[in-house]
Amino acid sequence: MTTLIKLEIMRVLRNRRYLFFTVIYPVALYALMLTAYGKTSDLSGVSVKAYFMVSMATLGTVGAALTGNAQRISLERKSGWTRQLRLTALPSWGYVVAKIAAVAAATLPAILAVFLFGFLEGVKLSAVEWIALGLTLWVGGFVFAALGVAIGYAAGPDSVQPIVMICYMGMVLLGGTWFPLSGSFGDFAKWTPVAIYNQLGRIAQAGASVDMKQLVAAAAYLAVFVGLAAWLYQRDRKEA
Amino acid sequence: MSTSVEQITGADRTGPGSGEVAAFRNVSKTFGTVKAVNDISLVLHPGETVAFLGPNGAGKSTSIDMLLGLREPTSGSVTLFGGTPRQAIVDGRVGVMLQSGGLMPDVKVRELVSFACGIHPRGRSVDDVLKSAGITDIADRKVDKLSGGQEQRVRFALAVAGDSDLIVLDEPTTGMDVTARQAFWSVMRAQADEGRTVLFATHYLEEADSIADRVLVVHKGRLIADGTAAEIKARAGLRKIAFDLHPDDGTPDLALLNNLPELSGLDISGHTVRIRSNDSDATVAAIYRAGFYPRGLEVTSVGLEQAFIAITGEQDAADESASLDKETAR
Repeated sequence: MTTLIKLEIMRVLRNRRYLFFTVIYPVALYALMLTAYGKTSDLSGVSVKAYFMVSMATLGTVGAALTGNAQRISLERKSGWTRQLRLTALPSWGYVVAKIAAVAAATLPAILAVFLFGFLEGVKLSAVEWIALGLTLWVGGFVFAALGVAIGYAAGPDSVQPIVMICYMGMVLLGGTWFPLSGSFGDFAKWTPVAIYNQLGRIAQAGASVDMKQLVAAAAYLAVFVGLAAWLYQRDRKEA
Repeated sequence: MSTSVEQITGADRTGPGSGEVAAFRNVSKTFGTVKAVNDISLVLHPGETVAFLGPNGAGKSTSIDMLLGLREPTSGSVTLFGGTPRQAIVDGRVGVMLQSGGLMPDVKVRELVSFACGIHPRGRSVDDVLKSAGITDIADRKVDKLSGGQEQRVRFALAVAGDSDLIVLDEPTTGMDVTARQAFWSVMRAQADEGRTVLFATHYLEEADSIADRVLVVHKGRLIADGTAAEIKARAGLRKIAFDLHPDDGTPDLALLNNLPELSGLDISGHTVRIRSNDSDATVAAIYRAGFYPRGLEVTSVGLEQAFIAITGEQDAADESASLDKETAR
């Protein structure tokens, strides 16, 4: 079991695409955003630098969770590797656990890279706030890791890429990652998964007290995605 | 199931060892309206090397999937070492090489093999496994950079990563060239010589003929033959008889050849006579009685391939007449 987790983590970290999408891409965008919003001092009441530090960190984790797992699970189901694993003494859930562990390991560097850039740009947080924010973002990543597993079991290798891209782009846009959404559309959008994720990050960042509604929403998304992933996984096993 | 083992073993073979490695008891599997496996019962005994023969779509892969617990039978029961297939796998008693077993990409061969050895409850040493699969020289290559034959050997390494009692191979030599195939089977024989039970599906009949000590033939979801390669050839009954007739020996009426008993084929070209017979002893005796003086007489058995065609053909004919009977009954 631990060997499989180690192998999966190693695979992710060796992968150049991972490095690009989850580490370099958010940091580069962060730099770009700061230039673009250069003259604006604050967005939704926080400084531009702090706003986009959370946005770009969530962008990295959502990217890592979706692109990595969904595609690999889909391909490995097709190739027969998951069948081969079922013929080992590995517990039946071992494969999924290793995949999620690999994502959890992959999102940490993504968060830390954005943090480092934010820190160098002058984002000032207390040690407790840095840790609280880092943990919130890291734990929140599991919601999207579960979604990645669900997509991997739902889609074949041919369709998985567009599905991932649509989910990723759609959620990120509605999540206010690029710019805050306002008006009645904003009222709807703020309940989408990435929006909740971003809000929780900002709450942790500001050291404000947690809003129960958002926490419940995050838990609900986690439950739905985990349930979906579990159901699709069972369906896949029956089809052998 | 209440049926006893003795009733089911049919041919009553106990093989090199007694006991039960795997058992199918009246197993059927349907997909929608298609009966992929139709009431198969069989028992595998310790130490046997068993070939599982059948044309594509005969139900081989479905049977193997059920044997390994990847699919549930629609009816009947499958046991491995007296328990469920999953339990046997968890106990490390089964090593498997799937026909389309994908490999984990982005890792090195050695990393993958050490994972397989590590996860196996009775794992062997990584170096031993690499050596017996003949992949020591490619141990540091990435899995996704291998040729087809190399990939096949890595798959084999995964099947022998532990000290399993049963090794199941689904079409293991597909895509291998002749040399690779021979090398593969010599390694496989060594595994069998250590007392392991080996079950392999193949459509290379010569592999079944030369390697297996028991051959199972499935056709259209049914087990239509179970015995040694020799028994199956004998069951097909055909033997080839060939001889020359020399003009110096007199010229008996060639038409007499047509009246030979048990004849199923006759071909005369020049002085050479070629006969297919269902009972070569009777036919040969009749040749002499008819006054022929055959020179260079040879009696040979047909290959497993012809036997295979003969018995699957019989089955088809039986099916056809059965369905005709049904038609007329209406």
